[in-house]
Amino acid sequence: MIPLGDTLLYATLVLSVIALIGLLLKDFKNIEYLNKLVTPAILLGAGLLTSSFILLAYYFVTGNFTYDYVWQYSSRDLPLVYKISGTWAGQPGTYLLWVLVIYLSAAWLAWTTKHSTALSRRTQIITLLSGIYLVILTLIQTPFKLIIDRPEVVDMIAKGELTAGFVPADGNGLNALLVNFWMIVHPPLMFIGYATMTIPFAAAIVYLLTKEDGWEELGRQWARFTWLFLGMGIAVGGVWAYLVLGWGGFWAWDPVETASFIPWLTLTGFLHAAALHRKDKSTFSIAAPILATVSFILVLYAAIVVRSGLFNSVHAFGDTNTGSLLIIFIAIISIVSIILGMRRYLEETDKVEEDRGFWNKTNIFYVTLLLFVVLAFISFWGITFPAFIQLTQGLKVGVASDTKNFFNLWSYPFTIILLLALGFCLNYNEKNKEEQKKTLFIIIGLTIITMFLRTENFYVLDHNSPFWVREPAIYKLIGNISVVSLFPSMIYATWATIQRLIDYLRIKSIRPRIKGIGIAIVHFGVVFILFGAVISSNFTQSIEGGSIPLASKGEIVSLGQGGYGVKIINFSTRSLAEVASAPAAGIKISEINANPASYVNNDVKVTGKVIEVENVPTPPSNTTYMKLEDGTGNSLWVATQSDFPLDVQNGMELTVEGFMMSDFRSNSTQKTYPLVIFTSPEAITGAAAPVSGKYNVQSVQLEVYKDNDRIGSGTAEYLDSQSGSGTFPLVDSSITGTDVYVIFQGLSGGSVPLTLKIIPAVNFAWVGIVLFAIGIILIMAVRSKAG
Amino acid sequence: MRTKKLVSILVLVLILAFAYFSYTTALSNFTLSDKTNSYLGGIKFHRAAAGLEEGFQIAQQENKPVMIYFWAIWCQYCARFQTDTLGNPQVKQILENDYVLVAMDLDIDREVAQQYGVSYPPYLVFMDPKGNVLERVPGAVEPGYLLPIVTQVREKVRGK
Repeated sequence: MIPLGDTLLYATLVLSVIALIGLLLKDFKNIEYLNKLVTPAILLGAGLLTSSFILLAYYFVTGNFTYDYVWQYSSRDLPLVYKISGTWAGQPGTYLLWVLVIYLSAAWLAWTTKHSTALSRRTQIITLLSGIYLVILTLIQTPFKLIIDRPEVVDMIAKGELTAGFVPADGNGLNALLVNFWMIVHPPLMFIGYATMTIPFAAAIVYLLTKEDGWEELGRQWARFTWLFLGMGIAVGGVWAYLVLGWGGFWAWDPVETASFIPWLTLTGFLHAAALHRKDKSTFSIAAPILATVSFILVLYAAIVVRSGLFNSVHAFGDTNTGSLLIIFIAIISIVSIILGMRRYLEETDKVEEDRGFWNKTNIFYVTLLLFVVLAFISFWGITFPAFIQLTQGLKVGVASDTKNFFNLWSYPFTIILLLALGFCLNYNEKNKEEQKKTLFIIIGLTIITMFLRTENFYVLDHNSPFWVREPAIYKLIGNISVVSLFPSMIYATWATIQRLIDYLRIKSIRPRIKGIGIAIVHFGVVFILFGAVISSNFTQSIEGGSIPLASKGEIVSLGQGGYGVKIINFSTRSLAEVASAPAAGIKISEINANPASYVNNDVKVTGKVIEVENVPTPPSNTTYMKLEDGTGNSLWVATQSDFPLDVQNGMELTVEGFMMSDFRSNSTQKTYPLVIFTSPEAITGAAAPVSGKYNVQSVQLEVYKDNDRIGSGTAEYLDSQSGSGTFPLVDSSITGTDVYVIFQGLSGGSVPLTLKIIPAVNFAWVGIVLFAIGIILIMAVRSKAG
Repeated sequence: MRTKKLVSILVLVLILAFAYFSYTTALSNFTLSDKTNSYLGGIKFHRAAAGLEEGFQIAQQENKPVMIYFWAIWCQYCARFQTDTLGNPQVKQILENDYVLVAMDLDIDREVAQQYGVSYPPYLVFMDPKGNVLERVPGAVEPGYLLPIVTQVREKVRGK
């Protein structure tokens, strides 16, 4: 039997094929036969996909573990919001979201255009073809796969270990790293961004194919929308890495984050090309559509990078089933785009145009486009060729001695040129061209001079890194450039943006003014992000491997050199779970006390309330003695040895398992009594005790000091679960923009292992990202009618 | 048009040069696996887990001791250890003639390293042909320290 969800997908497929045939008949033979059915079929298809997505979310909320995907990414004790976000926690769910949004955009296209023009019909054909392809991919790895079809379950049913109607009692659970707000929003942002790229792509292909006018207008808002969503998705991923993964930075050139950054770069190029193409159709008549198709191809490429196990990444989904189909898809689109692009190029070369010299707006914009392409290529090549070498030669290679060096190093010069181009373009004015050229040359001169400044380790590559001596000559050459050289172009770009903003503010009519403000805000965002990225990555101070005994609670313990100190205010544990399972109770203490000798040489498990705690230093470790009471007045001593005193207080419930010493003789009291020695407590419940749910959070409340002045405070947390662990660092921002950043990696042996980082200027990057969002929303809000 | 074409060609050449250069640089400077033994001081080793099996077969046939060398590409002590200690003429002669040598890249052969309780490079483990560990030498030791061990282990295996 086919599950309901899959049935909906198959129905969508049938409807799409009907719509596709209808459109093709109309377009090629002008047969109206199926034409009336096209719009309803597409709308219905979008509706069916929406219901299948809601159905999946419903399965997650109700914990329907007959479905493999639900079982894999959810469990009963998760809070509701994480049950819902489980819908897009894995690959099958994100694919479903992807096709859903493609069909929603197809529905929009059908609804707004009614397929009245050739352009809209043809764009719909391409959109539907992409949609159908991705529906098939979704069906291959369907989120509606039943758990009894899982290979190991099939095996167990065959062996008779499970019955044919097997439904697991509980799910596998969500990876601990995904249990936080940023991971709820990151995947939908990314995949909605991927999907909304379809219409600009489809329109561009149609334009390349048949020179249909109006393609740019059709895809314009979609492209901006993609830019916003993809950009915010990447940014949220960065915030997640900073706040959850404890990278101590927001960008690490991880292959998958890099892969999603590449289409964003080419898309940025496309938006710039489209801005000029819109005013003069002959400008960038090939570059603009090609950038749109390239962006779409790179979106598919990013999807492959996420899937394949070839790229060492935090996003290891490691499933290659759909990978090859995506590669085929990419190959088809790339070949089609190249052929179409070449054809158009050959058609247009015979056009004779007067040469207005190098210094005109089109040419500078063209350089800008190329810079986006170059930056995209550096990133693309950096994640691609190591995988290529591994595939073809079986060799593992790195791109540099430290991966991030490769990207930082090669991107640096082009980022400077891009800032220069930004400044020049925003400042561009046909009348004052000569003067502006002079300013540009002065800035270029300053940039070159500042490159040679010898600074206190403020270079493109870290000279103190152990890798520095081993870098090849050209890496050393570029790595030796002082980062001060970024500032002339940065100031120039800022100045030009301000000038431009003033011009925009003078515009009388409201629409162009708002749009102009939006453009200026986005370009301010660029400067903010670059400043934040460069300063934070160059000036982060890191004090690693500090370990603070819990016993020193309330005192400042110094950490590393540099006068830093940390004070533990409080330590507590809690469970994210709604129901924490109680540990199995041990033997009654009264039974043990009746005849302690009979338990010797056996493991004894006891549970009781702590009524007395005594810590005795027994170098090189500590022994913690605790007296447990079972609620009926019977008590028993238990003890453990560890590097640091065990953090227990009177009143806690404790379950321990260990071996019995029936006639332990205390050195201090000279008395003999039974004692259970255990290695680590099985369960402690109470004020500050590890809870035994599926998702346990340890949190330590800290104050950070520098030269005995408090510089930050907050809570660092560590989340532990059966499906992995996560760190939630303490991040305390100050007005000056310097973050105090403390990573806590879980209590070990009674002490708190901490890594302290002092990270400057990260706030600039966050501000820049917010500016990006505000700016593009302002631009989108002004819909220019004439196009 | 002409300027655009010139700029395009320039950028294309630049991109291709960059691609070629970074590709070859990675192959010559940043390989994380080693097929030419260039990282191992020019001494021939059997490689990886498969090499270990092969090594034990030869060791049993020829009654030779087995030495596993755990190393890593980024390990700068290893480089010096290879040239000065393993590459010391006396040590090298004994190793090459009387031993079956196996090298394990700590980044790749993690399981084997775990199996022998090795967590950092350089690290030598000496074994008889049956796989019993006879001697462990952790760290980048001097040739004067290694030479007697190499001789002793050889005699031990021969004496059996």
